[in-house]
Amino acid sequence: MMHTPKNNALRTNYTPFCPWAGILALLGGVALAACQWLIFVYAPVEATLGLPQKIFYLHVPLAWWGMLSFFLTFVASALYLKHGTPRWDMLAESAAEAGLLLAGLALVAGSFWARASWGVWWIWDARLTTTLIMCFTYAGYLIIRRLDMPEMRRNKVAAVVGIVAFLDVPLVYISSRLWSFIHPPSVQLDSDMRLVMWLCVGACSFFWAGLVTLRFSLAATERTLNTLTAQQLAAQSAKE
Amino acid sequence: MMRSALTLFQKDIRLLLGRGSGLVQALLLGFLLIFLFSLSADMATPTTAKAAAAIFWMASAFCQVLIFNTLYGYEEGQGQRLGLLLGKTPPQAVWLGKGAAALVALLLVQALLLPAIAVFLRQGFVALWPQAILALVLANLGGVGLGSLLGALSQGQGAKESLLSIILFPLLLPLFLMGIFVFAAAFTGEHTQEVGAWLRLAAAFDGTFLGAAYLLFPYIYTAE
Repeated sequence: MMHTPKNNALRTNYTPFCPWAGILALLGGVALAACQWLIFVYAPVEATLGLPQKIFYLHVPLAWWGMLSFFLTFVASALYLKHGTPRWDMLAESAAEAGLLLAGLALVAGSFWARASWGVWWIWDARLTTTLIMCFTYAGYLIIRRLDMPEMRRNKVAAVVGIVAFLDVPLVYISSRLWSFIHPPSVQLDSDMRLVMWLCVGACSFFWAGLVTLRFSLAATERTLNTLTAQQLAAQSAKE
Repeated sequence: MMRSALTLFQKDIRLLLGRGSGLVQALLLGFLLIFLFSLSADMATPTTAKAAAAIFWMASAFCQVLIFNTLYGYEEGQGQRLGLLLGKTPPQAVWLGKGAAALVALLLVQALLLPAIAVFLRQGFVALWPQAILALVLANLGGVGLGSLLGALSQGQGAKESLLSIILFPLLLPLFLMGIFVFAAAFTGEHTQEVGAWLRLAAAFDGTFLGAAYLLFPYIYTAE
């Protein structure tokens, strides 16, 4: 019934499962698996930090793509406020969810690395602190998206928070640096290590893009279903 | 716009001081937080200056949430928000009026919280008076600018205190750190070069968020 061409609402709104999401996720899975070989076999063991430094190859891509996701939420939120097109709103939400997941995983990986290298679960490092604050802020953003309020108002409020949250990033970073008492020593990468790091960042990009595309596709489907339900309820009440 | 903002400010201040409940509630919460944290110290090991400064700013932040929820609560019933908009009040005037009223209320509350810090946590300003006052003004300006923007989003929502807190507090982190650093330096009298850097950071925060809040507030307040 969902694909009947007679139904105008379905023809205009229905967004099928995006095949790109599956392809990107598959590519990401294969590339990340290949990266494990590069990390543990190809890349040399770092002289000072030893084996725990291997976490770095996972930690950095997760943190970078998480932050890029939040930037995408910022851009999509600004475009939604400017144009009012639902797809920007859905993209902002999808990117925020993916960003929160990746940034959360980066925090966990960073915490394990700190424990193994410096004997503490948490250090007041500017990058870690910024990531943590971003996680708190975007968790709040996602809570707003689930609030029971008119859809248009909720979307606009979320867009404003999506913009304000990203404006805070440089300020949080600078303030964390000013506050910091201990800075972890920066990791010196040789050419092989640098190559593996960039390959891991590249592999993570497929995973990230697949995640955002899949979530966007789900959001579009959810939106279509909500429209259909509203139309059906309106038709039923008109009959009665 | 300034006239509308001034009218709203006067109305809100009259209501806030006249009814008293919103302000007293904020003040009581602040006192309670300071008292409860004082239980962690004893005669031999008093609270450190940094911890005392952190407690002061945390109490201020919670008071700010209560103040904004009280201020935006005034227009919650009977479509008064729509009434304001239909009366051709520029949305930014609401942001400015509420922000100014909250700033006055917050300064009043803080003026009473500081003696409580001195009594319960055994701290006192021994140096850095101008810098501490500047830090207070900058932190409050940025705080109410952003608070007035986000206070409108929780209008009409259930559990709005917790909602506003979880959105506002992480964003205010740079101001909290600045306030804690400068106040701790003022409590101990240890002047460092970093105080200037912190104050510049707070000024940058204020410039960014006062500008952003001014531009973005109409989207929140007029959205339906």
